[in-house]
Amino acid sequence: MKKKLFLFDLDSTITKKEILPEIAGQVQMSQQMKELTERAMRGEIPFLQSFSERVDLLKEIPVPTVRSIISQIPLNEELVEFIKENRENCYVVTGNLDVWICDLMESIGLKDHYYCSKGRTDETGEWLLGIDEIIDKGRTIRSFPHPFVAVGDGNNDAEMIGLADVGIGFGGVRPIATALLNNATHAVYTEEKLCQLLRQL
Amino acid sequence: MSASKTIVISCAGMGTRLGMGYPKALVDVAGKPLLVRQLELLKDYDDVRVVIGYQYEKVIEMVNAVRRDVTFVFNHEYKTTGTGASFLKGTAYGRDMVVALDGDLLVHPEDLKRVLESEEECIGGTTPTTDNPVLMSTEMTPEGLVVTEFSRDKGEYEWTGLAQVKTSRLGTTQGHVYYLLEPLLPLKMEKIRTKEIDTMEDYRNAVAWVRNGYRD
Repeated sequence: MKKKLFLFDLDSTITKKEILPEIAGQVQMSQQMKELTERAMRGEIPFLQSFSERVDLLKEIPVPTVRSIISQIPLNEELVEFIKENRENCYVVTGNLDVWICDLMESIGLKDHYYCSKGRTDETGEWLLGIDEIIDKGRTIRSFPHPFVAVGDGNNDAEMIGLADVGIGFGGVRPIATALLNNATHAVYTEEKLCQLLRQL
Repeated sequence: MSASKTIVISCAGMGTRLGMGYPKALVDVAGKPLLVRQLELLKDYDDVRVVIGYQYEKVIEMVNAVRRDVTFVFNHEYKTTGTGASFLKGTAYGRDMVVALDGDLLVHPEDLKRVLESEEECIGGTTPTTDNPVLMSTEMTPEGLVVTEFSRDKGEYEWTGLAQVKTSRLGTTQGHVYYLLEPLLPLKMEKIRTKEIDTMEDYRNAVAWVRNGYRD
């Protein structure tokens, strides 16, 4: 049988915390970030708009600082272990920016195995100037050959979960969005259960 | 060993006969919902899957309140598919042996334990009590009592929804769970004590049964 591919959301799926709010917290911008994030999670503002606004908020922070903050965020280690063991078949699909998450992706064994939004920096790589391209998750997912498994938790993962042969909602970090559950084949609420299921597939 | 089994609890259906606004597996019997009673009996099993559809948020919420290490499997087409479809979704990617259990079955804990601890394929049967039972004809063999046929009009025992079978032997027949078991007959029968809850009178009887230590 053909080997299955595994696609993972990043925030609250691989990481134990939301990445952008975590960065904001380091620079005393938590409140504005919280409002934008919650409105996006509730589906009140489109993901694209909310994402641009949140990135704008964090432009003042040097890119290397952001990378270093991201590398400190605790991860779901058992899941990371699964990813490292199955590296060839695993991919991350996230709205986050390449210039921010590249170190993290390399550290979990997924260098060149992730799809994300693209940021533009100045020549020194020190400052983020803007977003070149926000990932169209749906289009990205449609380019993957079946069968594939997808794991996520938010509204913006619902499409990916619905297109997957096995679409898993993961509620180990925060509650799973209803739109995602409506598209899912499975839901699990602990990291241990998630990894058990992934190994059974 | 328990580790070699997948337990599939079907809770996707509407369970409207009792006139409640929520799935029947959530009905409170003597202080605890049916489904919670089952999960307590399954605490030593590490691959428990709850198949959900109708009002799935309520089922997830109730299960998570007592046990987080459960895998939920969706049957979004619960309105148009039978219990067989839910069961098959639950068994997908499961272990060699799979146990089928209806979320709204009130079963004597000792009887469920006996089935779970057995390594043999079997079907749970009970004395017919409901209005429109699925009946099972049985035969005594040197190995014990076996089920030979399912039928709407003849048989000594009533089908309960509880069965233990090898995953690899299951087909893909649509409809009820027992349609999936028919090609596997004869199968050993385990007598189990259960209470069906379809009417308010059934409900009161069930509560009294549990309160009285599962004795009539």
